[in-house]
This record gives sequence, structure tokens and C-alpha cells, in this order.
Amino acid sequence: MERRHFLASIATAATASQAMLRGAEGGQDSRNPSRITLLHTNDTHSHIEPFGPGNGQASGKGGMARRATMVKQVRASVPNLLLLDAGDTFQGTPYFNQYKGKLDFELMTKVGYDASTLGNHDFDNGVDMLLEAMEFAKFPFLNCNFDCKGAPTLAKRLAPWMVKEFPGFKVGLTGVGVDFKGLVSAENHKGVDWRSPEEALKPVIRHLREVEKVDLVVLISHLGYDLRGDAIDDLALPKLVPGIDAIIGGHSHTFLDQPTKIQQSLGETLVFQVGWGGINLGRMDFAMSKGQVRASSGIPVPVSAIA
Amino acid sequence: MRFNAPALALLLVFSPLACNKAAVAPKPAASQSPGIEQKPAPQLLQAQAVGVIQDFADDPGIMAILTPKQAEIRATFDLPLCVCPSGIFRGRNGEENLLGYWVTDTMRARAAKILGKPVKFAMTNSGGLRANLAAGQLKVSDIYGVMPFENELVTLEMTGQDVMDAIKQGILHRGSEPSSGIKMVLTGTVEKPDFVITWEDGTAIKPDEVVTAATTDYLYNGGDSIPALKKGRHPFTTGVAMRQLLLDACADLAKTGKPLEPPALGRYRIPPELYAAAREHKLGK
Repeated sequence: MERRHFLASIATAATASQAMLRGAEGGQDSRNPSRITLLHTNDTHSHIEPFGPGNGQASGKGGMARRATMVKQVRASVPNLLLLDAGDTFQGTPYFNQYKGKLDFELMTKVGYDASTLGNHDFDNGVDMLLEAMEFAKFPFLNCNFDCKGAPTLAKRLAPWMVKEFPGFKVGLTGVGVDFKGLVSAENHKGVDWRSPEEALKPVIRHLREVEKVDLVVLISHLGYDLRGDAIDDLALPKLVPGIDAIIGGHSHTFLDQPTKIQQSLGETLVFQVGWGGINLGRMDFAMSKGQVRASSGIPVPVSAIA
Repeated sequence: MRFNAPALALLLVFSPLACNKAAVAPKPAASQSPGIEQKPAPQLLQAQAVGVIQDFADDPGIMAILTPKQAEIRATFDLPLCVCPSGIFRGRNGEENLLGYWVTDTMRARAAKILGKPVKFAMTNSGGLRANLAAGQLKVSDIYGVMPFENELVTLEMTGQDVMDAIKQGILHRGSEPSSGIKMVLTGTVEKPDFVITWEDGTAIKPDEVVTAATTDYLYNGGDSIPALKKGRHPFTTGVAMRQLLLDACADLAKTGKPLEPPALGRYRIPPELYAAAREHKLGK
């Protein structure tokens, strides 16, 4: 169920943090688990500056410079961290019209993003201009369901999956994108075809689990949270493709106040999305031992400034 | 050091996971290579209250890159346009999309000016209007906020039946898509809705009449799934960007000292329960 409201109160945030703590303590091997924090954004849509007045509850929130400060603070306080984005970085403010996405990617590099994926709006200026902007991104783009046979340069820039190694454990990451039909003109995704994320993901998840032997599988998805039966979405994926621990979602601009937990045949998947425009920074924490997730939690943290 | 609600919220969120520095694991290295030495997992630290309040000051490294770009953007995008005393809004949860009405009215007027003949109907997509117009002095950036895309105005010929189908398809697909030149009243039930669509003066739309219409290249090329628009004949891509025609309309008002006012309500009348059903794709056809 979509819950389109903000989590901004101190009381709620405090409750969420206590839940996080209880989860960690409740693990089977609570004395020595591996821990990782995932920070994430989605659909930032070139909102490089904070929202100005007149934007309702978003007024005064967001902004890349504050986000960078928040990320630094968390990075300094946790042992292991990944910073991820779920696509649609482009389109939405004059910054995109002026700098064509290059500034977005340059700043994301500076903030320290570990990986991103591509959303439909990232194709708004076509494949060639996307590639020009990607020159400014010094982080990988993950996608396993775009067939880039007709766009070999983009194919080289997209990785179907990656593994990040941390002391004592490994995290497998992959990404999926939404169908271009009705969203991206044929000219703008020339050479790139869309494939079913279900079919594309199955071998990737299997490879990450069985060959790479990762301890945690994270999917960065630009499919949308709940498409009401129109197409495959983040709520449907866990049961269709078991073995994913976390889905960091985008596309539907859904504000969730905590991850949605979905039971699947191999365990539990946390599906999370934190609105759009960089209003919130999503945070999920996982405690693992013996290759299993023992505890998990998540909250959206409003990107608010001190006046 | 400042202390206010946002800073405290962050502190509370982060404090249970705070570690002392000596226990922080070494920075991990990304690797695909097998056989990497498996180090012991870091100790799980006890949660503790941290007596430090930190604010979210702008990161200086980001600001060093951003500041000169901000100046460039503001030189262009802070230029004033006209005044919009009450704001124009897209509407929420089935409210009428007055911003969409203004945009489509402006499309119709510009298309008529380009073609030198009346344009009876215009349609855009609500998803393409990305921001409201807040009350006050409008700036160039406000119009970029509404219409960031590079879409262009397209004119075409449509039959009356195609016009009615386009309205209906917009409702069934997204609850409604804003239009100009028509009135639409939805009655009936979720299972059996009744779409009453007339021209804006209340006259009946004849299925076989042919009218000149306007839309965007995005919609004409199949975006947002309104196939009736694709059936339009003799499409003409005007070369006028949607954003430019909105900027021009505001500039024209500014020249004459007139304010930008929202169009009148009453163009689309959709009961809340039928709107909700349409959004859930449960409205009968």
C-alpha cells in the first residue's frame, strides 16, 4: 500500500531508530554480525538546489550540498556503507536544461556514490547525450535488462552486476529499468531494447548467490513501487525472483516511511523508495552472519537544513 | 553550533549505530577477484547516546563546484516574467488541473496563431507538467519547473470521434489528461460510466466532423498511451517548444501589465469515486 506522506517528526524518527537497534540485537549471532548501511536516493530530477518556498512540504528540503554533508556524517559513524541511486537523475530543473546532466553526475561523483542505474528520463536527450553526461560519472551504472546491442558504447558503460567486498562479507548489486514503451520515444533509446526484468534478473541473482557467493543481494530498480497491475513492479519482483534482500526503488516517486517487507521463498525482501527530488535520503541497515541476513531496518531521513 | 529539529532528528536516527573511531572497520575495497583474504567481521558496537549535535551545513566541496554554476543559472533563470497573484495548480486527488487547462489553452492559442485559423481542441499530459506555479512574481525558472522537457507543439486534424476517444483514454489511463476546447461530465457507476463530452460551448461533438487540434510531439508519438491522438492526420511539428510558448504567454502578459490568472473551473467534472476507480484502472469502458 502506497503511503504518500513525509516522515519528518523527531518522535517518529526516534522510534524508527529504536526498531533498528532491536533488530540488530535480535540476530542469531548478535555478538559478531557483519553490518552494512545502504544510503540511497531516487528520482532526484536535477534538484541540485533545495526546493524553494511554495513547494508544500518539500519547501526548504533537499539539495546536493546538504546531502553530501549527511552522507559524510553517516560514513564517519558506520563501518560499512554503500551510497546508491535508483535513476531518473535527469530532468526537472534549469540545471538539467543548462548542463544536460553533466553537473548532476559530477556532483554525485563528488558526494561519493558507489553505483546508480538508469531511469526513463535519463534518456530524455537521447543515448549520445546520456553518454556525454556519463563521462562525468566516476561510478558504475548497473542494469541487466537493457539490450544494448545497437548501442555498443552504452553497453560498455552499463554493468549487469557488481560485487563489493567488505571485511568479512560481500554485497552483490544489480539494476533494472522500466519499459520504454509510452515513456521514452524510439529515437531517444535508439539501439537499446528493453527486456523483461524477471527473465533478466533470474540468472544474475543465481550467479551472485551461487558463483560470487555474496552475503547480501541489492537490486537498484527503476520499475516503480506499485504499478497497480499495469506492469512488473517492485512489489511483485521478490516473489517472481527470490533471493533479493533489498530493492532500492524509483520511478513512482513513492514516499514510504519504512521499507515494505515481502516474504519470498528464500527469505525476506525489503522494498524501499524515498519519494523524489532528493527530499529524503533513504537508509537501510543490515546485520548478517553466516551468509544470512539476521536483522534489517530502514527509514527515510529528511534532507533538511539549518536556517 | 545550532540546535533545531532537523539536526536532532538526524542525531537520533544515527546515534544507535554510532561507533567509536577505533572500532571502525578499514575502508573496504571494491573487488570482483576471488580468494581475497576474509577478515573477521567488525564488532557490533553497543548503541549509545552521542552528545554531539551536528547541523547539515552545505558541504564546501560541493559548493565550490556549484557556486559558479548557480550564478550562471540565476543570470538567466531568475529573470522576471509576469505576476501570478493566486498561483495555478495541478490539483490533487481528482481536483481539476487548472495548470493543465492554462497550458492547453495556451497551446490552442499559439497553434491558431501559427496556422492562422481556429484550433478547436488541445491536449497535453498531466505527467508532463512537473511543478505548480506558486503565487507571486513568476520567473523564467518557474516555467522551466512546469515544463522542463524539450517537447514541441504539434498540430493535426482529428475527427470528433478521435477527440472524444482521446478524452476518454486520458481518463481511463490516468484519471484525466488536461484539455482545452471541451467540457466533460462523467456520471454513471464504476462498472458502467457515462462520458458526456461536448465542445466548450456545450454543442455536441459530431463523430465525423474534422477539426484542427494541437498536442505535443511526445503524445503524438505514443507517449502516455493516448492512441486516439496518433490517429490524427496531417501532423505538423511547429518547431515551437512547449516551454517557449508558455514563456512567451507570460512575457506578453508582463508587457501589458496584466496578471496571469487561472482558467475557470468546470471543464472536467469527475465524481471522486469514479476518479479513484480510474486511477486504479477499475473504471469500466
